[in-house]
Amino acid sequence: MLEQTAIYAEQRVQSSPDSIDAGVIRACQQGDREAFRVLFEAYRDRVFSIACYSLGDKTAAADVTQQIFVKLFTRIGQFRGDSEFTTWLYRLVINSCLDERRRQSRFLPVEEFAPMNKSVHREPPETRYERREIAGSVREAIGGLKPKMRLPILLKYIEGLSYEEIASVLGCSKGTVASRLNRAHKALAKKLGHLRGEVA
Amino acid sequence: MREGLAAKEALPDGRASDTGRSKMFAKHVSSLTSAYCHDELSPAESRRVAEHLIGCPRCRVEFEEVRFGARLAAQLPVIEAPDSLWRGVEIALDRNGRRALAGQRPRAISFFMQPRFALASLVLVALVIAFAAFWLRQSPRSTVAGWNVARLDGAPRIGAALVNDKGTLGVGQWLETDTNSRAQIRVSDIGQVEIDPNTRVRLVETKPTEHRLELAEGRLSARISAPPKLFFVDTPSGVAEDLGCAYTLEVDKAGNSLLRVTTGWVSLQLKDRESVVPAGAACATRPGIGPGTPYFEDASETFRAALTQVDSDHDSSGQTYMTSLKIVLANARVRDTLTLWNLLPRVSGSDRALVYDRLAALVPPPPGVTREGVLKLNQQMLDAWKEQLEYRWSDRLSSGLLKTWRRTSANALGKLNGLEGKK
Repeated sequence: MLEQTAIYAEQRVQSSPDSIDAGVIRACQQGDREAFRVLFEAYRDRVFSIACYSLGDKTAAADVTQQIFVKLFTRIGQFRGDSEFTTWLYRLVINSCLDERRRQSRFLPVEEFAPMNKSVHREPPETRYERREIAGSVREAIGGLKPKMRLPILLKYIEGLSYEEIASVLGCSKGTVASRLNRAHKALAKKLGHLRGEVA
Repeated sequence: MREGLAAKEALPDGRASDTGRSKMFAKHVSSLTSAYCHDELSPAESRRVAEHLIGCPRCRVEFEEVRFGARLAAQLPVIEAPDSLWRGVEIALDRNGRRALAGQRPRAISFFMQPRFALASLVLVALVIAFAAFWLRQSPRSTVAGWNVARLDGAPRIGAALVNDKGTLGVGQWLETDTNSRAQIRVSDIGQVEIDPNTRVRLVETKPTEHRLELAEGRLSARISAPPKLFFVDTPSGVAEDLGCAYTLEVDKAGNSLLRVTTGWVSLQLKDRESVVPAGAACATRPGIGPGTPYFEDASETFRAALTQVDSDHDSSGQTYMTSLKIVLANARVRDTLTLWNLLPRVSGSDRALVYDRLAALVPPPPGVTREGVLKLNQQMLDAWKEQLEYRWSDRLSSGLLKTWRRTSANALGKLNGLEGKK
């Protein structure tokens, strides 16, 4: 038991989606709170990011993220492993965000969010500033996309899902994902044409 | 599926072909460019796209456009979730745990999902709703669309109306006190707030999962007995979030605010900046900047003055800033690790290393927490160190006891009042 707790503590420190294996999920299904903490730490920033970009409001995003993890833990017993865990999780995330947006029934402007990428602290201030400016513009442009285009972008660039996984999360075909990403990329390029030359 | 991607491309191609274009142009690849950029095509398709792009200027322009869009999207940062999130999840899980586990039983779910029970369930739900509506109409509590206000001194006002002895503050209404007046607000059934003279507050929201006031100017004293994340006060420079506590909060004409916690913990937030302030500590916030670094009020005057300078000086390479930071570090006591821990993410480079060294000298980090990790702001390491430090920030209780007390009181109050932490 102590050994297992130590393993979980180690996993929490190194938590990332890659650290989640079948054992952690099985432990969560058996109601193991420590295992769930490992799962939470691995996905919290990604889930929160999706919620932030979907809802455009940090407070609402925090609420939804909390609800998602509570739902996740209470429903994880229903996960049978027929699909990838990430697909199952992000389906829950997307549905919760869409529900919240419907509930709000209005679009909230995208707030300024603080990025998490700690490596930027090592860059010179002017580079950091430029990066933040570009990220801010991209965030705003993505906030202005229709959800149909925004969601594949978030799942691709925040979660790093493949087209097949995105299609499975969104319940559409892989071709539809490709087409929506194409349109989204073009829309971004059009909106942010002035950044040409600044983005490597 | 890859064939599917190509098949979709055939539609516009057919039209192009009909207009007499060459065979090559009958196989434009513009709709495949994102998949090509992301390496999502089969090798054969990928080769076809590459070959086509060499010879087709139109598709090449579109490809460049898509590639630029993809580069832009790749700049999208992951946003760090607030640390307070886990606390909220735990509280909700503690409350829902038993019910949730019961809900996982597949037999129970399938039984109730059977169609023959659906109609009966609907009728039952309708009856319950009708009964609840009838009961709510009869209940005097349902008629109160706001909080009770009692006059303590002078002539406080709700909107334009004077509060004689008692009044009700509705959602969206302002309560104002002048130089001679004071009032007390009953925050639903979770606590009370005293409003000092020359203060303006507005009731923003009141519902079982959230009670929110706005303090535009003046001073209030709150005493809340409820699970964390249930009572909030918005100020022009940040949001005070109750974590089960008593505190005073004041806002000046410029929108600066000062929080002083007397019991429990309060979190101050503005965007990504957060300061969690324990009993005996204070924290100033400024508009547009957010919470400053929290400090214990019994810290030396020298320490506090230097900290104010560090918080307000934007030129971190300046001489004044460096001198102030060194004064803070030199005058820090074990208890002031509260300030040093909170300073870590607010300073950078060699300054962070200085803060780390002083913090480690006062209270060495626990096993597994490394200098390198802390300097990189590894959140797990910061949290682990904080857990060890917390009991030094408390006068009476060790961190373990403190946590147990907070959890127990939150659960007990939640059960008593039918409340739950904000979901």
